[in-house]
Amino acid sequence: MALLEVSGLGLAYGPIRAAEDISLQVGADEIVAIIGGNGAGKTSLLKGIAGLLTPTTGTVRFSGEDITRLAPHRRVGLGIALSPEGRQVFPDQSVADNLVLGAYARNFARGELEAEIEEKFALFPRLAERRNQPALTLSGGEQQMLAIARALMSRPRLLLLDEPSLGLAPIIVRDVFRIIETLRGRGISILIVEQMANLALKVSNRAYVIESGRITLDGKSADLLHDPRIRAAYLGVSHG
Amino acid sequence: MEAYVQALLSGLAVGGIYALIALSFSITFTTTRTLNFAQGEFVSFGAFVGVTALLVLTGTASLSLTYPFALVVAGVVAGVVGILVFVLAVRPFAGKPGMSWVMSTIGFGIILQSAGLALWGPAPAKLPGPFGEGIIRIAGAGVRPQEVLILVAAIVILFGFEAVMQHTRLGKATRAVAHSPDVASLMGINVPVVMMGAFAASSALAGVSGVLIAPISTASLYMGLGFALKAFAGAIIGGLDNPRGCIYGGFMLGVVESYVGLWHSQWREIAVFLLIILVLAIRPNGIFGARTLQKV
Repeated sequence: MALLEVSGLGLAYGPIRAAEDISLQVGADEIVAIIGGNGAGKTSLLKGIAGLLTPTTGTVRFSGEDITRLAPHRRVGLGIALSPEGRQVFPDQSVADNLVLGAYARNFARGELEAEIEEKFALFPRLAERRNQPALTLSGGEQQMLAIARALMSRPRLLLLDEPSLGLAPIIVRDVFRIIETLRGRGISILIVEQMANLALKVSNRAYVIESGRITLDGKSADLLHDPRIRAAYLGVSHG
Repeated sequence: MEAYVQALLSGLAVGGIYALIALSFSITFTTTRTLNFAQGEFVSFGAFVGVTALLVLTGTASLSLTYPFALVVAGVVAGVVGILVFVLAVRPFAGKPGMSWVMSTIGFGIILQSAGLALWGPAPAKLPGPFGEGIIRIAGAGVRPQEVLILVAAIVILFGFEAVMQHTRLGKATRAVAHSPDVASLMGINVPVVMMGAFAASSALAGVSGVLIAPISTASLYMGLGFALKAFAGAIIGGLDNPRGCIYGGFMLGVVESYVGLWHSQWREIAVFLLIILVLAIRPNGIFGARTLQKV
């Protein structure tokens, strides 16, 4: 049984349809990528899984349980964490307090919370140096690391990453993906949404391609990297 | 000289009330982007709940013991009614386009006032302060003890609020909701409950303000509106989205009002509202408000 099972999902903002008939699975310890252009419905899909957007059709099941209409804060308790598009750290709160908030669903004892925070600082040393600074003073790359660290604070079984490369310099993007790579094999499944298809395909086991709100292609990431359709549409490589 | 010190102290005392109510506006605005337009009625309602609590306890203990009790009862009762405002008049409309919550909270205020009239009648009530009516001298100026009490109570409450917001888990969660309800919910924060708590705290502040101001004002069911309007003006001057700014705005307004009153009491309201227009012309989001325009 897959950890996350989305079937026939439809999403809309009022009358505007964002996604239709989306079905996908994420297995335990798997990294799955969703690639597609701007406005293809990738972010809406993650919002549907995290509970920020109520689906119009279909179901979302998490480790067998139907969570289609569950409030977002309850999903965090079950083990789903989303690092949202545009990072969305709490700008007026310190780096450490952002991490404290990330663990809100967990009710850790004080010592446990401290240990959890130190573990994140070990993973993201750049954040440790800035632990008492307000998050708004961080660079874009540091904010992205904070957003991921904050999501990890709830000890998720499924981590949803929305466009971790957005607005970052290429060298910082490489750092961020290196960190995502280190999360492999820690018992966390990852569903990553990315416009930078080559990076997403390199870090993931499997991938889905989404176009105008529908899944048009899926398969092993290694295969998709060499698929001429993908290379032409998303990797900026022409045929031949 | 004494007159100036006296005006300053009186201005700070009334300013303390404005600051408490201004903060109460800011609390719901930052967390839910709505305002409780029944806040004035909550001030009056709180005063009468306080009067009732004192009546019930008459003769049981000295006023210096029963008055704090009346403050707490007024805060708790107003807080509970504040939850009702959120559930009945705000929650159904919050976050949706349109401004239905403006009318529904005004309506709730009218209901609250009418219920108060049915319960307590239209006559003003006497709410004695715990330190009597005598005048105490500070730097030669005569000040009523209740004014000092208001100022001290306001400062204690405001610092207490600040400490909770900065250093507790609940305060951090509330600030997270103020920044973005969606992102706060991704942390596992139960956003509707935090918003309900914000309305409870906001209404409790209004209720407590009523019990504080009643001994030096006339405790009538109509007294709250004037205070709430001035407090709202203070919040706008300070910046509705900045709780600290609202507090400064409230105090500033009280002092300006008091000094203008020293010169010509008829000019008080004119000066106050000219000040608001002037401030808003230069800084549309208030003196301490966010510089960027709110995203819609």
